[in-house]
Amino acid sequence: MLTKTRRRGAFFLAISLAAASTGFAAPTPKTLNNSGDPTLALTPPLRGSLAAPKGSAPPNPDPHNFEGVWWLQGYEYMLGPESGVAPPLKPEYMRVLERRIRAKNRGTPEADASTQCLPHGMPRLMESPYPIEIVQTAGRLTFLHEVAHNVRRIWLNRPHPKNPTPSYLGDSVGHWEGDTLVVDTTGLNDRTFIDDEGSSHSTQLHVIERYRKIEGGAKLELTMTVEDPVTLEHPYSYHRIYHWRPDVRPQEYICEENNRNAPVDGVTVAK
Amino acid sequence: MKRLGVALAGFLGSVVLATAMPVAAAPPDLTGVWSIVKPEDALKTEDGKLPPLLPEAKAVYEKHQAMAAKGDHSFDTTTRCLPPGLPRLMLIRSPFEILQRTNTIYFVHELNRLPRRAYLNEKLPTDVDPHYLGYSVAHWDADALVIESNGFEDGTLLDAAGLPHSEALQLTERYQLDKDGKHLHARFTIDDSKTFSAPWSFKAEYLKRPGYELHEDVCADKEKPHLLAQ
Repeated sequence: MLTKTRRRGAFFLAISLAAASTGFAAPTPKTLNNSGDPTLALTPPLRGSLAAPKGSAPPNPDPHNFEGVWWLQGYEYMLGPESGVAPPLKPEYMRVLERRIRAKNRGTPEADASTQCLPHGMPRLMESPYPIEIVQTAGRLTFLHEVAHNVRRIWLNRPHPKNPTPSYLGDSVGHWEGDTLVVDTTGLNDRTFIDDEGSSHSTQLHVIERYRKIEGGAKLELTMTVEDPVTLEHPYSYHRIYHWRPDVRPQEYICEENNRNAPVDGVTVAK
Repeated sequence: MKRLGVALAGFLGSVVLATAMPVAAAPPDLTGVWSIVKPEDALKTEDGKLPPLLPEAKAVYEKHQAMAAKGDHSFDTTTRCLPPGLPRLMLIRSPFEILQRTNTIYFVHELNRLPRRAYLNEKLPTDVDPHYLGYSVAHWDADALVIESNGFEDGTLLDAAGLPHSEALQLTERYQLDKDGKHLHARFTIDDSKTFSAPWSFKAEYLKRPGYELHEDVCADKEKPHLLAQ
């Protein structure tokens, strides 16, 4: 039966609880916006993916070929302009974030989309500590996320529809600027958060991702820009790195089954 | 003797030449969105008979049908948003997308956004963990795509009517693109010695849906009815 290690369904909620209870994290966690208020302690980041082990297939040096499995280095629960700093939320939405962080620190976290097996939303989905497989076909990039079988389609050959039905992952179109893939996403519903800690966004959320391969294709570098005239004072950006992981095959992840194996420090441990 | 030797050498030479020649043309590209022409709720064998269920499995199937007749679908885990297994996922109305790459054939289903991968140039593993959608390997048999799968969890059903299977299920799918490029003919073979007295097969046909984009179907989203309920 189930004898081998297997990355299985894991709610991020459970990850944060595990992070809080197992004590592998830094002893003094950061607090929201360095306030020093212990009730606003942030969940410490996870290590995330390392580089592919020695002997793995070499990366494809073609800067326009993103095919393969990529895995996030590091994993932040809050997606602000820098680690520990909140997105530039308007005061009423900063209060929502504080309320959610306090509830989590009391041990009574508020639910979010992912805890109900709904798609994670953007930009949060790109911050998942699970592998992402990119499939490149004519006019399209398809992101197959291991986490909760999320799928993103990046259309290179058409504009956004005029009146998209709001969805969890929105409508994504892309184009190349030199060796950089620019992905523009709109048409998002407001049933998700920007991040795990609970930064709000509206249906006016506009996400711009700029991806390019670096180090000969061993890494994918992302510059994420987040705009939302309803919840944010102004747009902001942050950077992320994904490792080329040809040694990894995305596994079947069925959130709906229930959470069996929560990842610890970016690595899932079979239970 | 010499003549025979020459003839033999010539024969061998032509064999070597034949094997060294490129193997046919590139396989057809199945990339695109497809949907089944005639959804199938209750599988029958190719000659229209009830699949050859062993007595125990037959009792389970009949129990499922009796429950369904009373409106009780609790035996069906898709009612809890769990993945329909295979081949059931290939028998429903909602479309799927094939992304054909050199080393992997991807099936991405609209239904709850379920992805499936069939790895080319690989053998079926002998010791595989059970998964809802199993483990699949593929090869091209001339211009037909053949997918072999095992490693299925036994909690899924082969069809909506409640046809059971065991973890011993071995599924073979054979996909052949029609000359018109618009139809995909499939033949499924079910081999499960713990459930059926003999392997059996059925056919299905899919129609290409150019221009159709798969929607974001989210089973857990109670605000929108799930595609299986339509």
